[in-house]
Amino acid sequence: MDDLESELRVPGEELGENESSDDDESINRKRIKKPNLPLAPPIFKETPRETGFHKTTRNCLQHIREVLLHHRWQDAAEYMASYSQTLEDTTANMPQLYAEIIWRIGTEILHHHPESKLEDYNSFYERVKHSGVKHYLKVCLEHSFHLLVNGQFEDAKRQLSIAESWRYGKQSAGQSQRIKLIQAYSGFLDYFIWSDKKATVSSTDEYDAAVNQEMHSYFRQSSVNLKEIMKLPGVWDPFVLSYIDMLEFYNDHEGAVTVLNDYAYDNSFPPNPNAHVYLYRYMKKHNHPLKKLLKVLKILHTLVPSHEMMPEYCSLLLQSEKEGDLQKALGVVLDLLDYSSWRSSLDVWNHLRNIIKRLRMK
Amino acid sequence: MDEEQTGGYSEICGQCGEVDWGVSDEGRFYCRSCHNVIERTKEVVDTNTFMIGTSRVSSISKGTKRKKLEQGREWMVCEGFQFILKHQAEALLAMGVCPQFKDDVLCQFWRMYLQKSRQAYTKNPVHDGKFRLRSQGSGESESAPELSVMSDSMMSASETDGDGDWASGGGSVSGHTSDGVSSVCSGSVDAVSYLTPRQRRSQGLMSMPKTLALCHLALLWAREAITLADLLRFVNEGHIPYVNAYEGFPEEMRLYGRDSLIFRVESIPSYSHLHKEAQTLAVFLELPLFPPITLDCLLHPTLLTVRYLTEANLPDELHDWVCRIMEKAGMESSVTFEPMRSRSPLPHYDVQAAALIIIAMKLLFKLDDHTEWDLSNDASDKNKENPDGNSFNLRRWYRTMQTALTTAARRQQDNIARKHWKAQKPLYTSKKDKLVVLKRRRIAEQLQLSFQKLSGSPVAPPSSPPSSFCFCWGEEGEGVRDGPSMHHHTLDSSVRLRGASLQPSNPEYWHPALRACKPRFCKSHYAEVEVTLPRMYVWLLGLFSFLLGVKPGCVYEEVLKVERRFLRSSKSQPRARATPRKTQPKKQPKRKQTRKTCSR
Repeated sequence: MDDLESELRVPGEELGENESSDDDESINRKRIKKPNLPLAPPIFKETPRETGFHKTTRNCLQHIREVLLHHRWQDAAEYMASYSQTLEDTTANMPQLYAEIIWRIGTEILHHHPESKLEDYNSFYERVKHSGVKHYLKVCLEHSFHLLVNGQFEDAKRQLSIAESWRYGKQSAGQSQRIKLIQAYSGFLDYFIWSDKKATVSSTDEYDAAVNQEMHSYFRQSSVNLKEIMKLPGVWDPFVLSYIDMLEFYNDHEGAVTVLNDYAYDNSFPPNPNAHVYLYRYMKKHNHPLKKLLKVLKILHTLVPSHEMMPEYCSLLLQSEKEGDLQKALGVVLDLLDYSSWRSSLDVWNHLRNIIKRLRMK
Repeated sequence: MDEEQTGGYSEICGQCGEVDWGVSDEGRFYCRSCHNVIERTKEVVDTNTFMIGTSRVSSISKGTKRKKLEQGREWMVCEGFQFILKHQAEALLAMGVCPQFKDDVLCQFWRMYLQKSRQAYTKNPVHDGKFRLRSQGSGESESAPELSVMSDSMMSASETDGDGDWASGGGSVSGHTSDGVSSVCSGSVDAVSYLTPRQRRSQGLMSMPKTLALCHLALLWAREAITLADLLRFVNEGHIPYVNAYEGFPEEMRLYGRDSLIFRVESIPSYSHLHKEAQTLAVFLELPLFPPITLDCLLHPTLLTVRYLTEANLPDELHDWVCRIMEKAGMESSVTFEPMRSRSPLPHYDVQAAALIIIAMKLLFKLDDHTEWDLSNDASDKNKENPDGNSFNLRRWYRTMQTALTTAARRQQDNIARKHWKAQKPLYTSKKDKLVVLKRRRIAEQLQLSFQKLSGSPVAPPSSPPSSFCFCWGEEGEGVRDGPSMHHHTLDSSVRLRGASLQPSNPEYWHPALRACKPRFCKSHYAEVEVTLPRMYVWLLGLFSFLLGVKPGCVYEEVLKVERRFLRSSKSQPRARATPRKTQPKKQPKRKQTRKTCSR
């Protein structure tokens, strides 16, 4: 590793350095001004009074880093086995840092190791969860993500419900954001399980009451959670889609429209073009009047003039017979053509030609 | 946790990772911290105990006894150290040290230490009156050993056999207190008073590094071949108990609280630190002149240098030169240690031997980055002319040595990275820490197991048996070796026959610039001088410092010391001391010296 400190030091002070011996180096360092750049905290630097134990762990971490960079996963696992003794360090606050390091590096190794199986992941996550209190929820989330990605919806849901019921005094109180996230994903997972059940129900011909019941109960659970989450300002695209999917299935169209409207028009939410797209698509699917569609697309246009739905907006405007709409259409098309990505689209040029033709005819 | 009810069920709760089980009313097991109910029920446990016998009934009656066992018996800190020393001595005996070492030497040293530091065998113990009042029995317990060891501790043979002595010595010291009142914050009785600032300042009290210092002094007294560098190497490799030595304590001695400050070890002391401790300890114990190190003892420079020459793969002929230098420098007079004489500090036997070898090489090859390569060119020419001849070629030696050295250094770094410091039975400083510490220990162990499973190989590298040698030199096909052996090579090209005596082909010798410094204030000039030294010399210092496990500066200082004696002893004093020039041609005095020694 480069010795950034010596490179950043003023050359005039170099002369004073040579006269110190090994033991006085620490004093000399204090005299030399620290450079004003925000350097990352050195983890590999040898402190003057470190114990043998700390030296071992520092060396071990260096070796791990080297081995990881060379993609030698077996060796990395070996070194990690020796590194786990850092969790027992008696220095204050260090075990938390070490726990996080072990967690991150461990997951990397598990991802790339040729022989890692899901059980290894499971046991690893279980142990890491208990290694540190502050990151318990984070690890729970990551664990359930991993299970989700691998298709184990039930296990993921179970992990999240365990996480939801976790209480640890001040720690859990301070991590309310994460708890909300857990709630959201819990609802999301319920949706996945619901859609699984829906697929099984629709694939079989005979009516299975138990499966149906389960399906409905999952729907209820999911909607409770998702409703809660929708109230919080944020970007909840996948959650919205899943909720709308479920509501559509149960033919609750008004509910769906309300949800989408809230999502798109609530001022406390961050401006999200996708919300308007979803609303528009839903409305189009359910044949809402043209005026409403236009209204939605108008807001989308102000948000993102170069959106991919703009040609559609343009064609809708041309369909309507009002006078002002033609002007608007022209505006939309010209805005689109401002962007280099649209200049090569034949569609847009065609629209422009149509509009000019019409204007000429007047 | 309800030990009685749960019957010692100690599985980890799946939800919270704690081991804190209780039995609910229905007889089901539940975790007390997170109220997780598990499948195990008490009926199962009951049938087991019923089958064993009347254990349930017996457990009730044994309740108080078991509690007492849990609390352990009272013990003093010096008893703890006694156990540690005993284990260390046994480990050394297992390595081949003579049996008298443990009973006659180390044990006596320990008793003298106890006496001198007034922890035992004395009329006025070092502990305060509070302890005396608590135990009425202390008076009678102290009078008994008082008789035996006051004055003639050194001369008397131990009456009882070794083992009994060790165990009972502790018993007599601790006395017997009437009620089981051990201090709340430590398992041992006197850990608190052990660690008071006054005690610390007096520096008389035993600490973990001091156990090693005591062992070293005892080894020196017994004239064993294990040098301080060897001792540290064995400790590093784990052959001598040091890190987590307290795990060898018997069950009844409970450690917690302040004891952990005394017995927990997180570093292995450095060579210089241990050397100073040994010196201070020898003065503290007021030891007389040590048994003389004569030519039959392996610690004598003559024999020790043979060992290091073999280790460094240097030709055996070099030994003659080393002996000549030794004689010239008058090392005989200072080879035996006398603590009470302030002018003779504890010699660094191993570093001194290394220094002698370095000076011999400097004498023959000059080591100024030029001459030695010219000489090795000559050697290789000679070898080409005469294929049977085995002239020692420094360049070849350097290459072989360098490869072996880098491999060994890398292996050592690896071992440092994988070293295990934490014990199976962790120490905790207070009762509320106990749960946290135990939990962390469990999790660390489990993580270790899971990673081990993933890597598919054992964590601890297979520990090799203790050996004096780091490298193994031999011919091809002889098994594991680091390189071809050069011990039988001759120094033909480096020496010349002049008259009746052999003299080095290289006529010059150099010495780094000296300056006057205050002897007690300056530590080591090596760091600043190192840039001015020839690279080959620095490499050689690095080689010996790796073999011995010391800093290169230490070897450098020792070389300077020996050179001072070696060069001073010539009759005609050259304008030696403080000339700043590097090369000082010393042709005239050199010839005179060598002729003198070889004229017998």
